[in-house]
Amino acid sequence: MLTFDRYVTATTLDEAFDALQATPGARLVAGATDLLPWAREGRAGDVHLPALVDVGAIPALTAVTGEDGVLRIGAATSIAACERHPLLLRDAGLLARCAVWFADDQIREQATLGGNLVNASPAGDTLPALLAMNARVVLAARDGAGIRERAMPLADFITGPGRTRLGNNEILVRIDCDAVPGHGGAFEKVGHRRSLVISTVCLAVLARLEPARRTLADVRIAIGAVGPVPERLGDAETALRGQRPTPAAIREAAVLAADRVRSRSRQEYRREVLVNFVERGLVAALEQCGLAVQRLPQEIVHA
Amino acid sequence: MPDPSGFDAAHPPTTHIVATVNGRKVARTVPIHYRVIDFVREELKLTGNKEGCGAGECGTCSMFVDGTLIKSCLAPVQKIHGRTVETVDDLDADQGMTVIQRAFHKCGASQCGYCIPGMVMAATSTLRKRPRASLDEIKEGLGGNICRCTGYQKILDAVAMARDVLNGTRPETDLEEAATDSFIGSRTRRLDAPAKVTGAIKYAADLWMPNMLHMQVLRSPHPHARIQRLDVGEARAMPGVECVLTCDDVPGVDNFGVFIEDQPIMARGMVRYVGEGIAAVVAETADIAREAVKRIRVTYDLLPGVFDPFEAMKEGAPQLHGFAPGNICKHTRIRKGDVEAGLGEADLVVQETYRTSALEHAYLEPEAGLAYLEPDGCVTVMSPSQNITHHRHMLARILGRPINKVRMIMSTVGGGFGGKEDMLYQGMLALAAIRTRRPVRYVFTREESIAASAKRHPFSIDYTMGLRRGGLIVATRMIMVSDGGAYAMSTPGVMNKSAILGPGPYTIPNVWVDAIGVYTNNTPSGAFRAFGAFQSEFATESHLDLCAERLGMDPAQLRRLNLMQDGATTHTRQPLDRVAATACLDAALAAARWDPGVPHREARGEPARIDLGGPGTRAPCTLGLGTMATDKETT
Ligand SMILES: Cc1cc2nc3c(=O)[nH]c(=O)nc-3n(C[C@H](O)[C@H](O)[C@H](O)COP(=O)(O)OP(=O)(O)OC[C@H]3O[C@@H](n4cnc5c(N)ncnc54)[C@H](O)[C@@H]3O)c2cc1C
Ligand code: FES
Ligand code: FES
Repeated sequence: MLTFDRYVTATTLDEAFDALQATPGARLVAGATDLLPWAREGRAGDVHLPALVDVGAIPALTAVTGEDGVLRIGAATSIAACERHPLLLRDAGLLARCAVWFADDQIREQATLGGNLVNASPAGDTLPALLAMNARVVLAARDGAGIRERAMPLADFITGPGRTRLGNNEILVRIDCDAVPGHGGAFEKVGHRRSLVISTVCLAVLARLEPARRTLADVRIAIGAVGPVPERLGDAETALRGQRPTPAAIREAAVLAADRVRSRSRQEYRREVLVNFVERGLVAALEQCGLAVQRLPQEIVHA
Repeated sequence: MPDPSGFDAAHPPTTHIVATVNGRKVARTVPIHYRVIDFVREELKLTGNKEGCGAGECGTCSMFVDGTLIKSCLAPVQKIHGRTVETVDDLDADQGMTVIQRAFHKCGASQCGYCIPGMVMAATSTLRKRPRASLDEIKEGLGGNICRCTGYQKILDAVAMARDVLNGTRPETDLEEAATDSFIGSRTRRLDAPAKVTGAIKYAADLWMPNMLHMQVLRSPHPHARIQRLDVGEARAMPGVECVLTCDDVPGVDNFGVFIEDQPIMARGMVRYVGEGIAAVVAETADIAREAVKRIRVTYDLLPGVFDPFEAMKEGAPQLHGFAPGNICKHTRIRKGDVEAGLGEADLVVQETYRTSALEHAYLEPEAGLAYLEPDGCVTVMSPSQNITHHRHMLARILGRPINKVRMIMSTVGGGFGGKEDMLYQGMLALAAIRTRRPVRYVFTREESIAASAKRHPFSIDYTMGLRRGGLIVATRMIMVSDGGAYAMSTPGVMNKSAILGPGPYTIPNVWVDAIGVYTNNTPSGAFRAFGAFQSEFATESHLDLCAERLGMDPAQLRRLNLMQDGATTHTRQPLDRVAATACLDAALAAARWDPGVPHREARGEPARIDLGGPGTRAPCTLGLGTMATDKETT
């Protein structure tokens, strides 16, 4: 059970910083969908905190804006918003595809992007999607009278399972990422059942063709849940960029993913799924660009 | 005295919440750490919505906040300040039942009913958002809500029916009960169903009495240990604590069990599994009781444990109970004919080992109960017990009272599946009510339910079967070893059932069955749907498939050849006059459009089966992507 002495619903960043400063040891909360289940038997057990500072109602943290090809997504944007915000649907369709697979309708309304990143679960679903969009996290702290911001690539922010570079008294205010309106996108996830599952393997793909529509101008592949931190498949991306996306080229790139599986359990299963996901994801993303690519037939290998 | 955690449970900091709940303005001062579900259930006593898991996984707590459905167990109460909440209790706005609730009733979509309030909320949310929701969209909308006993088909039927009635494409009269002359083969009214679809029915955790106390239990973190010292002084001294109970407070014979009396209501000097109850605290609030539990000091003398039934039977293994040498809890034998000779005559002998795992019942309703004293001194326990008469007898002995001074009331069971047959906490509750002379309520958390309650017996089944070339079974030998866990509970009955039904409904001249239930330091195993038959039948049916493959035979044909017929005698010599097994098999094969022949034909390079896919079979899951397409159309 989670208990605390104070609960502050901040409506501005300043109020949130005031509360953090006034109560050392205070913890931020947004949707609480990670925080509340964490403070239970079997996880952290009973936890008592001096204060919770709710950042979910700070307008700056729920704003979504975009200019010059950069999307600025407030950290407290709900996962549900990814499925319905017009700007996100237009410029970040990949997030909507990811959101569809995230928990269930109800938790998507509560859970936030920022909470998902700071929680830094190896199986966090938005991480690969945001990695593919070249996301940078913007962290704010207050020194003296002013609010100081620093930004870093998402890949640097997440340092391990549950570990990030978020500093003491720092707030994740927003996520800046590439607007990708012209890209085809795909999100793949497998878990034990359809809704409310933790990913066993997840994958995000973005692809864009050259104007002549023969070769790949851009391709980005990010994977999650198969190692301690989600990551981009740099080698597969390099192999494909500027190339014609033939079935053979796609299969070859997909096979490169196999040795990325570094999870502690079910490695063989994950390897097979991951390779298939990369192949299927690339085909699906290209289909959205209007290019139909046939997958190479699979060998049937059961007895 | 300051609490080590810094949380003063006796005087928790409070917060003032103003909200509109079910159309009425409410203002309440509640503990600051309340979640929305606590506010609604504990403070407002609106118990239609349940807490099944407390972790966002089950959906029994689904409520609308400002029109958006959320899991209220994951929302700090401050999130509803100044907002509007709708719970299932008043969904009909005092008009009887909503169309959705009537459709649930009509379709029989409520078995235990524990998930149904949440399901109704999810259905309401789905149809509010998408009045013309497709079946895929309905499934997606209900994806966060789990049902363990109705199954999903009737629920989906109900939502689709409600959708059509609401859209006017189906007459409202469809929601009415069909007039029928016969109860057989028709949908008849279930008396408690309206109360289940509206959330009006009370389960044990929904009960509340004036002046009520709350209980919490200290559970062992060790699988096997001697309790050297148990010091409850500090807990007892805490403000708000009414009493702390240990085995020393048991007035009667503290040794009970369904088949073997091997269990105390709280550990008596020894703990034998992780999660065994050691002491119970009764206090003004559950929070105080929880804090007091943390202040109970126990010194354990750790003992080596045994966690594998095969190890437990070996010489020199730790012994769990003095009366059970070799840790054998129950050994059931069936001997018929001469198995060695039978195997010798066989053309084919197939040997294989099968294993099944322990399984959690995961009923949606965690264990709960309320006990109180009647004015005449009769102690009454209300709990979802699946076996109240037996519990009442055991309780009378434990309490050292005549049976007419002990009453058990079976509260609505929110799913049991056998798991609520065991008496786990009713003894502590009764003692607490007697001691305090006040009503006492105890509600398990989901974690506690999983830690303390019995599981399905894991089995290891060594199977040998001899068959004739044409497929006739001539001999079966099954040696089954099962982990019964720390206490017998239903192990003897489960061993009997697995042995009696294990070789299956087949005529076999020579049968040898050993079913051995073994004590270990694991969570006790107990009753679970099929009561042991599941495990041994699983082995038998898997084994027949294996034999059919070796014989190059259609597995259905192999079964038809061996099924018992009218006049057969069971393996335990019970004569059967009418046996419908072959007719059942044929009906099932017809319904499944069974394509005769050996399975795995593709792997042999033969043409694929024709009974997979096709009309009437379920299409593969396209969820998510289906809903996405619609989202795109609308934007
Ligand atoms: C039943 C269930 C199913 C789930 N399914 C999925 C799933 O399918 N995929 C998935 O990825 N996750 C899933 N989750 C996990 C969870 O919902 C997500 O991680 C969610 O995004 C967390 O967001 P939140 O706002 O609820 O975080 P919170 O619980 O409020 O916070 C999480 C952590 O982040 C910190 N934090 C929050 N906001 C900020 C901020 N702005 N700045 C700094 N720190 C901050 C908090 O202090 C805390 O440490 C599931 C959870 C549950 C209970
Ligand atoms: S989802 Fe809230 S109690 Fe299970
Ligand atoms: S009716 Fe759904 S859990 Fe029992």
